[in-house]
Amino acid sequence: MRHQGPLRHRAAYVAFDRFPSSKGSAVHIAQMADELFTRFEGGLLAAIGGGDLPRYQREGTREVARFDAAIPNLIDRAEAFSGWVAAHLRPHWETLEVCHVRDPWSALPAVADGRRHTVVYEVNGLPSIEMSHTWPWAAPATLGKIRELERFCLERSDAVVVPSRVIGDAVRGLGVPEGRIHLVPNGADVRDRPERPAGAPERYLVYVGALQPWQGLDVLMRAFARLADLPGLRLVVCASVPERRAKPVRRLAERLGVAERVDWRFALPHHEVAAWLAHAEVSVAPLTGCARNLDQGCAPLKVIESMAAGVPVVASDLPAVRELMADGRHGRLVPADRPAELARAVRILLEYPEEAAAMGRRGRAHIEESLTWARSRARLTEVYRTLTRGR
Amino acid sequence: MNRCTVTTGFFVLGRCGRSAVAACPQCGRPVCGAHAGPNALCPECAAAQGYRTQDPHHPGWTRGYRREYYRGSSQSYNDGYWYSSFDEYDRGAFNPGDDYSYGGDWGPDDDTGFVDS
Repeated sequence: MRHQGPLRHRAAYVAFDRFPSSKGSAVHIAQMADELFTRFEGGLLAAIGGGDLPRYQREGTREVARFDAAIPNLIDRAEAFSGWVAAHLRPHWETLEVCHVRDPWSALPAVADGRRHTVVYEVNGLPSIEMSHTWPWAAPATLGKIRELERFCLERSDAVVVPSRVIGDAVRGLGVPEGRIHLVPNGADVRDRPERPAGAPERYLVYVGALQPWQGLDVLMRAFARLADLPGLRLVVCASVPERRAKPVRRLAERLGVAERVDWRFALPHHEVAAWLAHAEVSVAPLTGCARNLDQGCAPLKVIESMAAGVPVVASDLPAVRELMADGRHGRLVPADRPAELARAVRILLEYPEEAAAMGRRGRAHIEESLTWARSRARLTEVYRTLTRGR
Repeated sequence: MNRCTVTTGFFVLGRCGRSAVAACPQCGRPVCGAHAGPNALCPECAAAQGYRTQDPHHPGWTRGYRREYYRGSSQSYNDGYWYSSFDEYDRGAFNPGDDYSYGGDWGPDDDTGFVDS
Protein backbone atom coordinates (compact mmCIF):
# COMPACT_ATOMS: atom_id res chain seq x y z
CA MET A 1 0.00 0.00 0.00
CA ARG A 2 1.36 3.43 -0.88
CA HIS A 3 1.29 5.88 1.96
CA GLN A 4 -0.77 8.92 1.31
CA GLY A 5 -0.49 12.21 3.14
CA PRO A 6 -1.37 12.75 6.79
CA LEU A 7 -4.01 10.38 8.18
CA ARG A 8 -7.10 11.74 9.89
CA HIS A 9 -8.21 9.41 12.66
CA ARG A 10 -11.58 8.76 14.30
CA ALA A 11 -10.01 7.14 17.37
CA ALA A 12 -7.01 7.77 19.58
CA TYR A 13 -5.53 5.81 22.48
CA VAL A 14 -3.16 7.72 24.74
CA ALA A 15 -0.91 6.11 27.35
CA PHE A 16 1.96 7.46 29.44
CA ASP A 17 3.61 4.05 29.15
CA ARG A 18 6.32 2.69 26.95
CA PHE A 19 4.80 0.67 24.13
CA PRO A 20 5.55 -2.08 23.40
CA SER A 21 7.39 -3.30 26.48
CA SER A 22 7.62 -6.43 28.63
CA LYS A 23 5.25 -5.06 31.27
CA GLY A 24 1.70 -6.15 31.92
CA SER A 25 0.49 -2.67 31.03
CA ALA A 26 1.77 -3.14 27.46
CA VAL A 27 -0.26 -6.34 27.04
CA HIS A 28 -3.31 -4.45 28.26
CA ILE A 29 -2.66 -1.51 25.95
CA ALA A 30 -2.17 -3.85 22.97
CA GLN A 31 -5.54 -5.51 23.60
CA MET A 32 -7.54 -2.37 24.31
CA ALA A 33 -6.01 -0.24 21.54
CA ASP A 34 -6.39 -3.08 19.04
CA GLU A 35 -10.09 -3.32 19.89
CA LEU A 36 -10.54 0.45 19.56
CA PHE A 37 -8.71 0.59 16.22
CA THR A 38 -10.62 -2.42 14.88
CA ARG A 39 -13.90 -0.74 15.67
CA PHE A 40 -12.90 2.64 14.22
CA GLU A 41 -10.94 1.35 11.21
CA GLY A 42 -7.60 2.62 12.41
CA GLY A 43 -6.43 5.20 14.88
CA LEU A 44 -3.57 6.93 16.61
CA LEU A 45 -1.73 5.34 19.52
CA ALA A 46 0.22 7.98 21.42
CA ALA A 47 2.61 6.40 23.93
CA ILE A 48 6.10 6.65 25.40
CA GLY A 49 9.06 5.62 23.27
CA GLY A 50 12.78 5.78 23.75
CA GLY A 51 15.40 3.10 23.32
CA ASP A 52 15.37 1.98 19.71
CA LEU A 53 11.62 2.40 19.22
CA PRO A 54 10.84 4.57 16.21
CA ARG A 55 9.26 7.95 16.91
CA TYR A 56 6.52 7.28 14.38
CA GLN A 57 5.18 4.11 12.90
CA ARG A 58 2.47 3.46 10.35
CA GLU A 59 0.69 0.18 9.85
CA GLY A 60 -2.06 0.65 7.28
CA THR A 61 -4.59 2.96 8.91
CA ARG A 62 -2.93 2.73 12.31
CA GLU A 63 -0.35 5.17 13.51
CA VAL A 64 1.91 4.96 16.55
CA ALA A 65 3.50 8.17 17.81
CA ARG A 66 6.05 7.91 20.61
CA PHE A 67 7.13 10.62 23.03
CA ASP A 68 10.84 10.21 23.61
CA ALA A 69 12.02 13.42 25.23
CA ALA A 70 14.48 12.53 28.01
CA ILE A 71 13.12 14.69 30.84
CA PRO A 72 14.21 13.31 34.23
CA ASN A 73 11.72 15.06 36.53
CA LEU A 74 8.48 13.09 36.42
CA ILE A 75 6.10 16.06 36.69
CA ASP A 76 8.04 17.98 34.04
CA ARG A 77 7.97 14.91 31.84
CA ALA A 78 4.25 14.33 32.42
CA GLU A 79 3.42 17.93 31.56
CA ALA A 80 5.61 17.89 28.48
CA PHE A 81 3.82 14.68 27.50
CA SER A 82 0.47 16.44 27.96
CA GLY A 83 1.62 19.18 25.60
CA TRP A 84 2.88 16.66 23.10
CA VAL A 85 -0.45 14.80 23.24
CA ALA A 86 -2.36 18.03 22.65
CA ALA A 87 -0.23 18.68 19.57
CA HIS A 88 -0.87 15.16 18.32
CA LEU A 89 -4.62 15.28 18.86
CA ARG A 90 -4.96 18.67 17.18
CA PRO A 91 -4.75 17.42 13.56
CA HIS A 92 -7.56 14.93 14.33
CA TRP A 93 -9.78 17.28 16.34
CA GLU A 94 -12.45 17.46 13.63
CA THR A 95 -12.57 13.73 12.88
CA LEU A 96 -12.00 12.24 16.33
CA GLU A 97 -14.96 10.29 17.76
CA VAL A 98 -13.39 8.49 20.71
CA CYS A 99 -10.28 9.28 22.70
CA HIS A 100 -9.27 6.57 25.16
CA VAL A 101 -6.83 7.65 27.90
CA ARG A 102 -5.12 5.94 30.85
CA ASP A 103 -3.95 8.68 33.21
CA PRO A 104 -4.64 12.31 34.09
CA TRP A 105 -1.83 13.80 32.01
CA SER A 106 -3.05 11.95 28.94
CA ALA A 107 -6.62 12.88 29.77
CA LEU A 108 -6.09 16.63 30.17
CA PRO A 109 -5.67 17.48 26.50
CA ALA A 110 -8.45 15.03 25.60
CA VAL A 111 -11.12 16.52 27.89
CA ALA A 112 -10.58 20.07 26.61
CA ASP A 113 -13.53 22.35 25.89
CA GLY A 114 -14.88 22.43 22.37
CA ARG A 115 -14.34 18.76 21.72
CA ARG A 116 -16.80 16.70 19.74
CA HIS A 117 -15.32 13.33 20.69
CA THR A 118 -16.17 11.24 23.71
CA VAL A 119 -13.49 10.48 26.26
CA VAL A 120 -13.07 7.03 27.78
CA TYR A 121 -10.83 7.20 30.84
CA GLU A 122 -9.40 3.81 31.72
CA VAL A 123 -8.39 3.80 35.39
CA ASN A 124 -5.92 1.05 36.22
CA GLY A 125 -4.77 2.95 39.26
CA LEU A 126 -4.82 6.40 40.75
CA PRO A 127 -1.49 8.25 40.65
CA SER A 128 -2.56 10.24 43.72
CA ILE A 129 -2.41 6.98 45.71
CA GLU A 130 0.21 5.04 43.81
CA MET A 131 2.73 7.87 43.61
CA SER A 132 2.87 8.12 47.39
CA HIS A 133 4.44 4.66 47.24
CA THR A 134 6.79 5.23 44.34
CA TRP A 135 7.82 8.74 45.41
CA PRO A 136 7.78 8.82 49.21
CA TRP A 137 9.14 12.36 49.25
CA ALA A 138 6.04 13.72 47.59
CA ALA A 139 4.22 15.90 50.13
CA PRO A 140 0.58 15.19 50.95
CA ALA A 141 -0.28 18.61 49.50
CA THR A 142 1.36 17.63 46.22
CA LEU A 143 -0.57 14.37 46.09
CA GLY A 144 -3.68 16.43 46.86
CA LYS A 145 -3.04 18.46 43.73
CA ILE A 146 -2.68 15.27 41.73
CA ARG A 147 -5.98 14.07 43.19
CA GLU A 148 -7.66 17.29 42.08
CA LEU A 149 -6.25 16.77 38.62
CA GLU A 150 -7.69 13.23 38.59
CA ARG A 151 -11.05 14.49 39.77
CA PHE A 152 -11.08 17.18 37.10
CA CYS A 153 -10.34 14.70 34.30
CA LEU A 154 -12.69 12.00 35.62
CA GLU A 155 -15.51 14.51 35.95
CA ARG A 156 -15.13 15.56 32.34
CA SER A 157 -14.81 12.05 30.92
CA ASP A 158 -17.83 10.40 29.32
CA ALA A 159 -17.06 6.92 30.59
CA VAL A 160 -14.67 5.45 33.12
CA VAL A 161 -13.42 1.93 32.51
CA VAL A 162 -12.02 -0.02 35.48
CA PRO A 163 -10.46 -3.50 35.52
CA SER A 164 -11.69 -4.40 39.03
CA ARG A 165 -14.57 -3.61 41.36
CA VAL A 166 -12.17 -2.28 43.99
CA ILE A 167 -10.86 0.34 41.58
CA GLY A 168 -14.49 1.04 40.63
CA ASP A 169 -15.20 1.82 44.29
CA ALA A 170 -12.17 4.10 44.48
CA VAL A 171 -13.35 5.99 41.40
CA ARG A 172 -16.86 6.24 42.84
CA GLY A 173 -15.27 7.68 45.95
CA LEU A 174 -13.85 10.47 43.80
CA GLY A 175 -17.38 11.44 42.81
CA VAL A 176 -17.86 9.66 39.49
CA PRO A 177 -21.52 8.62 39.14
CA GLU A 178 -22.23 4.90 39.10
CA GLY A 179 -23.71 4.94 35.61
CA ARG A 180 -20.50 6.19 34.08
CA ILE A 181 -18.30 3.43 35.53
CA HIS A 182 -17.84 0.28 33.43
CA LEU A 183 -16.10 -2.88 34.57
CA VAL A 184 -13.85 -4.32 31.87
CA PRO A 185 -11.73 -6.99 33.55
CA ASN A 186 -8.27 -7.92 32.41
CA GLY A 187 -7.96 -11.15 30.50
CA ALA A 188 -5.54 -13.72 29.19
CA ASP A 189 -5.35 -15.99 26.20
CA VAL A 190 -5.40 -19.71 26.86
CA ARG A 191 -2.87 -21.33 24.55
CA ASP A 192 -1.26 -24.72 24.06
CA ARG A 193 1.35 -25.57 26.64
CA PRO A 194 4.62 -23.99 25.47
CA GLU A 195 7.94 -25.86 25.54
CA ARG A 196 9.97 -25.91 28.70
CA PRO A 197 12.31 -22.88 28.72
CA ALA A 198 15.97 -23.68 28.13
CA GLY A 199 17.84 -23.79 31.42
CA ALA A 200 14.69 -24.16 33.52
CA PRO A 201 15.36 -25.89 36.85
CA GLU A 202 13.69 -29.22 37.59
CA ARG A 203 11.34 -27.76 40.21
CA TYR A 204 10.70 -24.08 40.64
CA LEU A 205 8.31 -21.48 41.97
CA VAL A 206 7.78 -18.49 39.70
CA TYR A 207 7.20 -14.80 40.30
CA VAL A 208 6.25 -12.63 37.32
CA GLY A 209 6.06 -8.86 37.31
CA ALA A 210 7.66 -5.62 38.36
CA LEU A 211 9.63 -5.17 41.59
CA GLN A 212 8.05 -2.22 43.38
CA PRO A 213 7.72 -2.51 47.17
CA TRP A 214 3.96 -3.20 47.00
CA GLN A 215 4.55 -6.36 44.95
CA GLY A 216 5.72 -8.08 48.13
CA LEU A 217 8.98 -9.55 46.83
CA ASP A 218 10.38 -9.17 50.34
CA VAL A 219 7.57 -11.34 51.70
CA LEU A 220 8.25 -13.89 48.99
CA MET A 221 12.00 -13.99 49.78
CA ARG A 222 11.29 -14.49 53.48
CA ALA A 223 8.79 -17.24 52.65
CA PHE A 224 11.30 -18.87 50.33
CA ALA A 225 13.88 -18.86 53.11
CA ARG A 226 11.47 -21.07 55.06
CA LEU A 227 11.44 -23.61 52.23
CA ALA A 228 15.20 -24.19 52.35
CA ASP A 229 14.68 -27.83 53.37
CA LEU A 230 13.05 -28.74 50.05
CA PRO A 231 15.84 -30.17 47.91
CA GLY A 232 16.31 -28.70 44.46
CA LEU A 233 13.46 -26.19 44.76
CA ARG A 234 14.34 -22.90 43.10
CA LEU A 235 12.62 -19.56 42.70
CA VAL A 236 12.55 -17.98 39.24
CA VAL A 237 11.83 -14.25 39.17
CA CYS A 238 10.75 -13.05 35.72
CA ALA A 239 11.13 -9.32 36.30
CA SER A 240 9.49 -7.00 33.80
CA VAL A 241 11.93 -4.20 34.65
CA PRO A 242 15.64 -3.62 33.97
CA GLU A 243 18.20 -5.51 36.05
CA ARG A 244 19.38 -2.54 38.09
CA ARG A 245 15.88 -2.27 39.61
CA ALA A 246 16.49 -5.63 41.32
CA LYS A 247 19.27 -4.37 43.57
CA PRO A 248 17.26 -4.00 46.81
CA VAL A 249 15.54 -7.39 46.42
CA ARG A 250 18.83 -9.09 45.59
CA ARG A 251 20.45 -7.59 48.68
CA LEU A 252 17.61 -8.91 50.79
CA ALA A 253 17.89 -12.36 49.21
CA GLU A 254 21.60 -12.41 50.08
CA ARG A 255 20.93 -11.39 53.63
CA LEU A 256 18.32 -14.13 53.98
CA GLY A 257 20.71 -16.68 52.49
CA VAL A 258 18.44 -17.58 49.57
CA ALA A 259 20.28 -15.75 46.77
CA GLU A 260 21.94 -18.96 45.57
CA ARG A 261 18.54 -20.58 44.97
CA VAL A 262 17.01 -17.67 43.04
CA ASP A 263 17.21 -17.39 39.24
CA TRP A 264 16.64 -13.98 37.68
CA ARG A 265 15.29 -13.22 34.23
CA PHE A 266 14.79 -9.64 33.11
CA ALA A 267 12.41 -8.01 30.64
CA LEU A 268 11.58 -11.23 28.81
CA PRO A 269 9.17 -11.06 25.90
CA HIS A 270 5.61 -12.02 26.77
CA HIS A 271 5.67 -15.50 25.15
CA GLU A 272 8.81 -16.50 27.07
CA VAL A 273 7.18 -15.49 30.35
CA ALA A 274 4.23 -17.72 29.41
CA ALA A 275 6.63 -20.66 29.06
CA TRP A 276 8.20 -20.00 32.49
CA LEU A 277 4.71 -19.85 33.99
CA ALA A 278 3.52 -23.04 32.35
CA HIS A 279 6.31 -25.21 33.76
CA ALA A 280 6.37 -23.85 37.30
CA GLU A 281 5.10 -25.81 40.31
CA VAL A 282 3.38 -22.76 41.74
CA SER A 283 3.05 -19.12 40.69
CA VAL A 284 3.24 -16.63 43.55
CA ALA A 285 1.60 -13.18 43.74
CA PRO A 286 2.58 -11.91 47.21
CA LEU A 287 0.98 -8.42 46.91
CA THR A 288 1.25 -6.45 50.14
CA GLY A 289 -1.75 -5.15 52.05
CA CYS A 290 -0.92 -1.47 51.42
CA ALA A 291 -3.18 1.39 50.38
CA ARG A 292 -2.07 0.96 46.80
CA ASN A 293 -3.47 -2.57 46.66
CA LEU A 294 -6.36 -2.17 49.11
CA ASP A 295 -7.83 1.33 48.67
CA GLN A 296 -6.89 2.02 45.09
CA GLY A 297 -7.15 -1.61 44.09
CA CYS A 298 -5.29 -3.44 41.38
CA ALA A 299 -6.00 -6.08 38.76
CA PRO A 300 -2.91 -8.26 38.76
CA LEU A 301 -2.45 -9.67 35.28
CA LYS A 302 0.05 -12.17 36.71
CA VAL A 303 -2.76 -13.98 38.54
CA ILE A 304 -4.86 -14.25 35.37
CA GLU A 305 -1.93 -15.26 33.18
CA SER A 306 -0.80 -17.88 35.70
CA MET A 307 -4.25 -19.45 35.70
CA ALA A 308 -4.32 -19.34 31.89
CA ALA A 309 -1.02 -21.22 31.91
CA GLY A 310 -2.60 -23.92 34.11
CA VAL A 311 -0.43 -23.22 37.17
CA PRO A 312 -1.84 -23.13 40.70
CA VAL A 313 -1.53 -19.66 42.21
CA VAL A 314 -0.65 -18.69 45.77
CA ALA A 315 -1.66 -15.05 46.18
CA SER A 316 -2.39 -12.53 48.89
CA ASP A 317 -5.98 -12.55 50.06
CA LEU A 318 -6.96 -9.07 48.87
CA PRO A 319 -10.39 -8.05 47.54
CA ALA A 320 -8.94 -7.33 44.08
CA VAL A 321 -7.40 -10.82 43.92
CA ARG A 322 -10.57 -12.48 45.22
CA GLU A 323 -12.38 -11.05 42.19
CA LEU A 324 -10.13 -13.17 39.98
CA MET A 325 -9.62 -16.49 41.78
CA ALA A 326 -11.13 -18.61 44.52
CA ASP A 327 -9.26 -20.00 47.51
CA GLY A 328 -8.91 -23.77 47.40
CA ARG A 329 -10.23 -23.92 43.86
CA HIS A 330 -7.63 -22.18 41.66
CA GLY A 331 -4.86 -22.04 44.24
CA ARG A 332 -4.53 -20.64 47.72
CA LEU A 333 -5.23 -17.17 49.09
CA VAL A 334 -3.09 -16.31 52.09
CA PRO A 335 -3.04 -13.28 54.40
CA ALA A 336 -0.89 -10.51 52.90
CA ASP A 337 2.52 -9.75 54.42
CA ARG A 338 2.79 -13.11 56.24
CA PRO A 339 5.83 -15.00 54.97
CA ALA A 340 5.11 -18.04 57.17
CA GLU A 341 1.57 -18.41 55.80
CA LEU A 342 2.80 -17.98 52.27
CA ALA A 343 5.51 -20.62 52.76
CA ARG A 344 3.01 -23.04 54.29
CA ALA A 345 0.55 -22.70 51.42
CA VAL A 346 3.33 -23.31 48.90
CA ARG A 347 4.62 -26.31 50.86
CA ILE A 348 1.18 -27.92 50.97
CA LEU A 349 0.72 -27.53 47.21
CA LEU A 350 4.14 -29.08 46.63
CA GLU A 351 3.25 -31.99 48.87
CA TYR A 352 -0.05 -32.67 47.12
CA PRO A 353 0.92 -32.43 43.44
CA GLU A 354 -2.29 -34.03 42.21
CA GLU A 355 -4.49 -31.53 43.99
CA ALA A 356 -2.16 -28.74 42.81
CA ALA A 357 -2.48 -29.93 39.21
CA ALA A 358 -6.27 -30.05 39.56
CA MET A 359 -6.23 -26.45 40.79
CA GLY A 360 -4.14 -25.50 37.77
CA ARG A 361 -6.65 -27.18 35.44
CA ARG A 362 -9.60 -25.50 37.15
CA GLY A 363 -7.83 -22.12 36.91
CA ARG A 364 -7.32 -22.61 33.19
CA ALA A 365 -10.96 -23.56 32.71
CA HIS A 366 -12.02 -20.53 34.76
CA ILE A 367 -10.06 -18.22 32.44
CA GLU A 368 -11.48 -19.91 29.34
CA GLU A 369 -15.00 -19.51 30.67
CA SER A 370 -14.90 -15.99 32.00
CA LEU A 371 -11.65 -14.06 31.69
CA THR A 372 -10.42 -14.18 28.11
CA TRP A 373 -9.24 -11.07 26.29
CA ALA A 374 -12.00 -11.70 23.74
CA ARG A 375 -14.55 -11.22 26.52
CA SER A 376 -12.86 -8.07 27.82
CA ARG A 377 -12.70 -6.65 24.34
CA ALA A 378 -16.37 -7.39 23.73
CA ARG A 379 -17.20 -5.47 26.90
CA LEU A 380 -15.06 -2.55 25.80
CA THR A 381 -16.77 -2.47 22.44
CA GLU A 382 -20.09 -2.39 24.24
CA VAL A 383 -18.89 0.72 26.11
CA TYR A 384 -17.89 2.40 22.84
CA ARG A 385 -21.20 1.42 21.26
CA THR A 386 -23.23 2.88 24.13
CA LEU A 387 -21.25 6.10 24.00
CA THR A 388 -21.30 6.70 20.29
CA ARG A 389 -24.92 5.66 19.82
CA GLY A 390 -26.98 8.51 18.43
CA ARG A 391 -23.95 10.60 17.56
CA MET B 1 21.44 -5.79 -1.53
CA ASN B 2 19.90 -3.16 0.68
CA ARG B 3 16.99 -4.25 2.84
CA CYS B 4 14.03 -2.13 3.93
CA THR B 5 14.59 -1.25 7.61
CA VAL B 6 11.12 0.07 8.39
CA THR B 7 9.80 -1.13 11.77
CA THR B 8 6.67 -3.23 11.40
CA GLY B 9 4.18 -4.76 13.82
CA PHE B 10 2.09 -3.48 16.69
CA PHE B 11 2.86 -5.40 19.86
CA VAL B 12 5.62 -7.58 18.46
CA LEU B 13 7.91 -5.40 16.39
CA GLY B 14 10.09 -6.48 13.52
CA ARG B 15 11.92 -5.14 10.48
CA CYS B 16 10.34 -5.24 7.02
CA GLY B 17 13.38 -6.82 5.34
CA ARG B 18 12.15 -6.66 1.73
CA SER B 19 14.52 -5.37 -0.94
CA ALA B 20 14.81 -1.62 -0.83
CA VAL B 21 13.92 0.43 -3.90
CA ALA B 22 14.74 3.89 -2.58
CA ALA B 23 16.27 5.81 0.27
CA CYS B 24 14.07 8.10 2.34
CA PRO B 25 15.11 11.64 1.35
CA GLN B 26 14.72 12.82 4.93
CA CYS B 27 16.44 10.20 7.08
CA GLY B 28 18.24 8.22 4.41
CA ARG B 29 17.03 4.78 5.45
CA PRO B 30 16.41 2.23 2.70
CA VAL B 31 12.71 1.60 1.99
CA CYS B 32 10.95 -1.03 -0.12
CA GLY B 33 8.23 -0.33 -2.68
CA ALA B 34 5.44 -1.05 -0.21
CA HIS B 35 6.79 1.31 2.44
CA ALA B 36 7.94 4.18 0.22
CA GLY B 37 5.41 6.98 0.46
CA PRO B 38 5.07 10.20 -1.53
CA ASN B 39 8.55 11.41 -2.57
CA ALA B 40 9.89 8.07 -1.27
CA LEU B 41 9.46 9.17 2.35
CA CYS B 42 9.61 6.34 4.87
CA PRO B 43 6.43 5.84 6.99
CA GLU B 44 8.12 7.33 10.07
CA CYS B 45 9.02 10.58 8.30
CA ALA B 46 5.67 10.66 6.49
CA ALA B 47 3.78 10.33 9.79
CA ALA B 48 5.99 12.95 11.43
CA GLN B 49 5.03 15.41 8.70
CA GLY B 50 1.44 15.24 9.90
CA TYR B 51 2.40 16.61 13.31
CA ARG B 52 4.22 19.71 14.36
CA THR B 53 7.24 18.08 15.84
CA GLN B 54 10.18 19.81 17.36
CA ASP B 55 13.57 18.57 18.27
CA PRO B 56 13.27 17.28 21.85
CA HIS B 57 17.04 17.19 22.20
CA HIS B 58 17.26 20.94 22.06
CA PRO B 59 17.77 22.17 25.63
CA GLY B 60 15.11 24.84 25.35
CA TRP B 61 12.49 22.41 24.16
CA THR B 62 10.93 21.20 27.39
CA ARG B 63 10.63 24.54 29.03
CA GLY B 64 9.52 26.35 25.91
CA TYR B 65 7.03 23.68 25.04
CA ARG B 66 5.61 23.61 28.53
CA ARG B 67 5.25 27.36 28.72
CA GLU B 68 3.62 27.50 25.34
CA TYR B 69 1.27 24.71 26.34
CA TYR B 70 0.30 26.45 29.58
CA ARG B 71 -0.56 29.55 27.63
CA GLY B 72 -2.47 27.74 24.90
CA SER B 73 -4.28 25.32 27.14
CA SER B 74 -5.27 27.80 29.81
CA GLN B 75 -7.02 29.68 27.02
CA SER B 76 -8.68 26.68 25.48
CA TYR B 77 -9.77 25.16 28.80
CA ASN B 78 -10.49 28.60 30.19
CA ASP B 79 -8.71 27.52 33.33
CA GLY B 80 -5.11 28.39 34.00
CA TYR B 81 -5.04 26.73 37.40
CA TRP B 82 -4.13 23.20 36.40
CA TYR B 83 -1.11 24.28 34.49
CA SER B 84 0.47 26.33 37.17
CA SER B 85 -0.52 24.26 40.16
CA PHE B 86 2.71 22.30 40.61
CA ASP B 87 5.35 24.57 42.08
CA GLU B 88 9.06 23.93 42.44
CA TYR B 89 8.53 22.29 45.82
CA ASP B 90 6.03 19.83 44.34
CA ARG B 91 8.30 19.06 41.45
CA GLY B 92 11.32 18.56 43.69
CA ALA B 93 9.91 15.33 45.09
CA PHE B 94 9.92 13.82 41.62
CA ASN B 95 13.54 14.42 40.76
CA PRO B 96 15.34 11.20 40.06
CA GLY B 97 18.81 10.50 41.34
CA ASP B 98 18.25 9.65 44.99
CA ASP B 99 18.13 6.07 46.17
CA TYR B 100 15.40 6.72 48.67
CA SER B 101 12.43 6.59 46.35
CA TYR B 102 11.66 3.61 44.21
CA GLY B 103 11.52 6.01 41.29
CA GLY B 104 15.17 6.65 42.12
CA ASP B 105 17.41 7.00 39.16
CA TRP B 106 15.81 7.15 35.78
CA GLY B 107 17.31 5.86 32.59
CA PRO B 108 16.33 5.41 29.00
CA ASP B 109 15.55 1.73 29.62
CA ASP B 110 12.91 2.56 32.21
CA ASP B 111 9.24 2.52 31.58
CA THR B 112 7.53 5.62 32.71
CA GLY B 113 3.96 4.68 33.54
CA PHE B 114 2.39 6.01 36.72
CA VAL B 115 0.70 2.80 37.69
CA ASP B 116 2.03 -0.67 37.05
CA SER B 117 0.68 -4.07 37.77
